[in-house]
Amino acid sequence: MNNFFEVKDVDFSVGGKTKVRNVSFSIENEGDVICLLGPSGIGKTTILRTIAGLEKLDKGMIELKGKILSSEKINIEPENRNISLAFQENSLFPHYTVKENIFLGAERNKNKKDHKVSFEELIDLLNISNILNKFPHEISAGEAQRASLTRSLVTQPDLLLLDEPLSNVDQSFKEEIQEKLKKILKNSKITTIIVTHDSYEAFYLGSKCGIILNQELKQFDDPYNVYHLPNSIEVVNFLNRGTLIPAEVTSPKSLENKDLGTITGNFIKPFPIGSKVSLLVQPEDLHHDDKSSLKFEVVDRKFRGTNFIYTLKTPNNTLIPVFVHSHHIHQHELDEKFGIKRPIHIDHIVCF
Amino acid sequence: MPGIYTNVKLGTLLFHVYKADYNMKLNSWYLSSFLISFVVLIPIITVFTSFFENTSNYYEILKNTFLIEYILNSITLLVSVLILTFIFGIGTAYLVSFYKFPGSNFFKWALILSFAVPPYIYAYSLTAFFENYGTAFTILKNLFGDANYNKDIPKFDGMLGAILSISFSLFAYVYILARASFLYQSQNLIDLGKNLGFSKIKSFYKIILPAARPAIVAGLSLVAMETLAEFGAVDFFSINTLTTGIYNSWIYFDDLAFANRISFLLLLFIFSLFILENLSRRKAKYHLNSKGGFKQKEKIKLFGVQAFLAFMFCFIIFFISFLFPLSQMLYWTIKFPENLLDLDIVNLLLNTVYLVTISSFVLLLFSLISNYGNRVSKNKILNFLSTLSISGYAIPGVILAIAFITFIAWFDNSIIKALGLTSIKKIFIGSIFGLVLVYFIRFYSLAFNGIKSGYEKINISVDESAYLLGYSKRKTFTNIHIPFLRNSLIFIIILISLEIIRELPITLILRPFNFETFATTAYISASEDLLEAAAVPSLFLILIASIFIIMTSKYILREKNE
Repeated sequence: MNNFFEVKDVDFSVGGKTKVRNVSFSIENEGDVICLLGPSGIGKTTILRTIAGLEKLDKGMIELKGKILSSEKINIEPENRNISLAFQENSLFPHYTVKENIFLGAERNKNKKDHKVSFEELIDLLNISNILNKFPHEISAGEAQRASLTRSLVTQPDLLLLDEPLSNVDQSFKEEIQEKLKKILKNSKITTIIVTHDSYEAFYLGSKCGIILNQELKQFDDPYNVYHLPNSIEVVNFLNRGTLIPAEVTSPKSLENKDLGTITGNFIKPFPIGSKVSLLVQPEDLHHDDKSSLKFEVVDRKFRGTNFIYTLKTPNNTLIPVFVHSHHIHQHELDEKFGIKRPIHIDHIVCF
Repeated sequence: MPGIYTNVKLGTLLFHVYKADYNMKLNSWYLSSFLISFVVLIPIITVFTSFFENTSNYYEILKNTFLIEYILNSITLLVSVLILTFIFGIGTAYLVSFYKFPGSNFFKWALILSFAVPPYIYAYSLTAFFENYGTAFTILKNLFGDANYNKDIPKFDGMLGAILSISFSLFAYVYILARASFLYQSQNLIDLGKNLGFSKIKSFYKIILPAARPAIVAGLSLVAMETLAEFGAVDFFSINTLTTGIYNSWIYFDDLAFANRISFLLLLFIFSLFILENLSRRKAKYHLNSKGGFKQKEKIKLFGVQAFLAFMFCFIIFFISFLFPLSQMLYWTIKFPENLLDLDIVNLLLNTVYLVTISSFVLLLFSLISNYGNRVSKNKILNFLSTLSISGYAIPGVILAIAFITFIAWFDNSIIKALGLTSIKKIFIGSIFGLVLVYFIRFYSLAFNGIKSGYEKINISVDESAYLLGYSKRKTFTNIHIPFLRNSLIFIIILISLEIIRELPITLILRPFNFETFATTAYISASEDLLEAAAVPSLFLILIASIFIIMTSKYILREKNE
């Protein structure tokens, strides 16, 4: 069976400069939402612009519903793709009110019978009823972004592209909008690609996530796997998920580190016994135990609301993060000794 | 085989133009933009190629005799005008930007009315007032009775007359740009000066003036270009400059090649000023856009003698630059009413409206196409061509008109004749079509830049959103861009009208037989020593131009960061 949307071996470039090379990924079913994640300036927006037809490609092919949109020889103009892109910056027409802007979007598919989502529903869900009669220069960046999102949604596109859709939305409001957006996308069954640099947003909204680093799509997988089973050191570093410490594989189910001692668990990828590897230690892998003889010095403590993340320094000067619930009975100060529960067992052992 | 070589070169150029931008598509927008840029460049190319052609003996005679005088006169005129416009422009801009005094709000816009008086009309007024038995004489006679006042009345003719006429007519360039720069200077900067214990004078020299330097240089560069291009006033005062030299070598010696040779020298000079002006403007733009620096300044209220002196300075400049020529022309119109009756005002007005309407339409249409083409194609070479083509405004009208005639003559003799077709000279020379075409070249930058600055306010993502909503490029242009640019377009039409009403040399050289405007009628009367007759068209010209200036003053003098 053909995929609903497919990107095959594409080099994404802008102004003759290649931003991301040899990218392949697909969206299997109509209505699926995927997220592309990566640091700023890496080329995420270029990918969306190319899919929308605003940039052309040098190599590869983009297909939607079995029809080639872009290749080295074929290029369907943006206005003929029925793809909608909500830009990160304010792209509302400056001389029309918000309402008129949204109606211009609705005009595109006014003859479509099966409206997946109504105008009123969107206004309500995205909370823009109070700005409908205002001009773009009279509203805030966050409001403009929501208005732009509404305009994109009412076009009933075959593919919706959202470029950092909530980057200008207030933090306090963000989670609420994320929930609403997820609900709208689910109800409307609009196939969507979201670009973001916020991993939690990507994990929440996307059924699949692509990690773009160093001009490559490093990993394209479901959020759980991306989070727990990163496939490269670059992904680990980007997600800032823990520390890589040197270790030696001692059996099919264990390894040894000079500071932590024996660690048991299940290897994601088998390594020969005796291999020198880098072991990923994530904050939730180690557990606090005041009675333990394995103690390290606290060099930093970050309060994260529901938890603290302690950074411990080992005798070999390795820094290890440890997650502790914020209601935990015994909190440590800097320079104090912090005990780690033994034996250490990690469910998924990620090594490189 | 120069022809083949040229074709190969052109082919290579076009190929590179096509390949230069990956996103470029050879569409109609692109081709239109390319052609417009090319047409505007024709006179520049003509002047440069004519430099190597043979000239008559006039050149040899003139090279040894008058050429040095032409150059020296041009430099004297230039330096003197720059000094005076600097003093008038900066002085008035400083006072109205930083101080509040009686009439300061009025002077803020009234000072730009001097634009309504072209230097040649100022020259007529100056002569009419100070000449023997002129208006000054009449005033003195009415006040103090009969006497020989002529020997006591100073004479502002010759070089001095030309310097004063041009300076009072053009100082507003410096005034407008310096005022805009003063207005956007950060209050923090001025507060810092106070904090360092600077006096007002020291703050002016150490902080305000250096910070406004790019804007001032830009204003002075515009004055310099206009001064070097000035024809009417210098011709009236019989000053031999490079510009009048070009005109004379064509009119009196029928030597187009020599006219183009002087044009070449003048153009080199003007282009260096053009580059200087562009560099300064770039800096000025940077300066204005700096974030966080803008804070509306509290104007200092002046009292007593200080308020009186500030008022007097602005009033004297306003009076001399605008009220004086206006009153002089009004006085003569009333004194010699028969001139008013002799003049076919309706016809002149219709001619002006006719020229303004056609020119504005053509300029707006093609500037829109070119701007949109640039926006759509994002091509660097096209961008470069556009930048070159807007240089038309820096080229004196005399040079443009003569280069145009040269080009048409060459094209007619070498191509049309070779093809055995009927001569096209009559279509282009001495016709409305030719006149509008050269206006197009001269004022293209005005329309192009006006639309460009309007376009700069429309983020490119707005276009892209339109495409993604299913709008074609044409629909995006008509439904999104045109409504947004409406105010800019109105402003540009007014500016073009203002320029065409005041324009003299191009109209004089290229107009059809018996087709006159207020400017040419005034010039012809003045050149026949009939200054009284020149007063009526001059008065109408000033009044119409003033109306247009008042209409645009809102845009020119906007105070907030709109």
